[in-house]
Amino acid sequence: MRAPSDGTTLGSVSVTSPSVPARPRWTDRYGTWLLLAPGTLWMLLFLAVPMLMMVYVSFWTQKTFSIEPKLTLQSWINFFSSSTYVGALVTTVEIWAIVLFFTFILGYPTALYIGLFIRNKTTQTIVLVLCVVPFWTSFLIRVLAWRPMLGKEGAVNLLLLKLGLISHPIDVLLFTEVSVIIGMVQIYVVFMVGPVAVMLGRIDRSLIEAARDLGAGSWRIFRTIVFPLTLPGVAVGAIFVSVMVLGEFATSAALSGQKVNLLGNIIVTEVGSLKWAFAAVAGVVLTAVMGIVIAALLRAVNLREEL
Amino acid sequence: MENQPALRGALGLYTVIFITFLYAPFIVLAILSFQSGPEGGPQFPIIHWSIYWYKHLFGLTPPSRVAPLPIGDALIRSLILAFATMVTSTLLGTLTAQAFRRRFTGSGLVFYLVVLGMMVPGVLVGLGVALVSTYLGVDRSWWGTTFLVHVVYTFPFAFLVMLAVLNRFDRSVEEAAWALGVPPARTFRKITFPLIFPGVLSAMLFAFTLSYDEFPRTLFAAGGDLTLPLAIYGTFSVEIHPNIFAFGVLTTLFSFAILAVYGLLMAMSVRRARRVAIQEEIA
Repeated sequence: MRAPSDGTTLGSVSVTSPSVPARPRWTDRYGTWLLLAPGTLWMLLFLAVPMLMMVYVSFWTQKTFSIEPKLTLQSWINFFSSSTYVGALVTTVEIWAIVLFFTFILGYPTALYIGLFIRNKTTQTIVLVLCVVPFWTSFLIRVLAWRPMLGKEGAVNLLLLKLGLISHPIDVLLFTEVSVIIGMVQIYVVFMVGPVAVMLGRIDRSLIEAARDLGAGSWRIFRTIVFPLTLPGVAVGAIFVSVMVLGEFATSAALSGQKVNLLGNIIVTEVGSLKWAFAAVAGVVLTAVMGIVIAALLRAVNLREEL
Repeated sequence: MENQPALRGALGLYTVIFITFLYAPFIVLAILSFQSGPEGGPQFPIIHWSIYWYKHLFGLTPPSRVAPLPIGDALIRSLILAFATMVTSTLLGTLTAQAFRRRFTGSGLVFYLVVLGMMVPGVLVGLGVALVSTYLGVDRSWWGTTFLVHVVYTFPFAFLVMLAVLNRFDRSVEEAAWALGVPPARTFRKITFPLIFPGVLSAMLFAFTLSYDEFPRTLFAAGGDLTLPLAIYGTFSVEIHPNIFAFGVLTTLFSFAILAVYGLLMAMSVRRARRVAIQEEIA
């Protein structure tokens, strides 16, 4: 490093010219705020205000094709007394729980292999990148790609028939809840693999060796050392997956044949028929669900302490 | 536990199956894009291999019952939008991250406000902006309201990338320039910017690709003129043909091209940094 020699030349300069211009006081005092202002204002105006507007509008009066700023609870009452809307809320939570479960069950072993069993850092990165590459395809194309896979004459049925595993094509694969779950798991599972693999990579190998030397079996090492240490990664992954699955509507629109209605789909339909107040109610409910889920996940693992 | 060959083999095999699961739909889609046309449908078996549907995309086939994808104008709009979003969010991200190099009261609050932009589901942000613009009587458009929400989405990514870069960088170099009386603007141009350039490049890559592919926010925030994802979504409800698969293959190749440009620029900046370091070493 060349720092020391630089330091001496610098020192001599500042000594010979004592009137080195101190940066103007004005920027000192307000500089930080000037730098902050554009970004903060942007987020306040185009994120915070719209979200508050959504809460506000959920109390407006819904006319046939318009809304009036006359406050009422009618939209809320309609929402919770309609089996369609409450059903959508239940379906959303259901799909979220199932998808989260499968992203964990399917993603964890892969993360385990990448983070713990591949020793070489370069190979580790290559395999992780391999998992991320499908993300370079447009989201909607990735969703659509499941149609030729799952249909009655789709690739999966064709393969199973050829292998002689089934005698008739399975037709519950496409345009059902199953296809929505398969599609979402494939799209979001990477968000579970990444954080868990990172946490696994940070585990001090000597801990595992010490446990083995003391006679602990593989299962015990996993249960008492490895798994607890990856929990923060699981929590981060779960937050990613939850936020994205709860806000979904495109996958269910494309793969369920309108059989699966999530809160997101309700919002899209209501906006389409200019029922802004109902859409706003569904939006506020969705925000609340999301808040509860994230708060619960943050409570399960103290991220600030762990990271 | 990582020394047990059986466990190792089993997990390795599982990982291969897992990665196949990630790739399979796209591989099937790519194969089916070479279906014969216009009579071939979006499923197996391949009647005979052809590039009919690629020609169909560019309007090079005789008119048939399959309407061409309405993507020409949408593509141009999406590219312009992605470019504007990229420039704006990288600028905002750099400014805000620069501010975070000092401690200030309320930094936690600002941090969460910014990060919220990438956490709140697109459908909610889109709905909120649509409500505000309806309330204010402002027309929604791809270059107005859509641009605003795209930046809300990509600015947090740029901010986090720049924060990570600025945290790692040696302040004394900048301080040296100030001490020597170099004006702040020049210091930024000559010292700070070259040092943070790889970060800026990454922030730009994030912003461009996220905006180019952004769908839920756009759905409500755009007016009548569609962006590319909206045009693709429009085909969902009708019967699909292999032309959308062919388009999927092309747009993926385009993404890889962007990634390649990024890799190239990154490699160039690393090489330049190394050359400067060597020159300093000699001097």
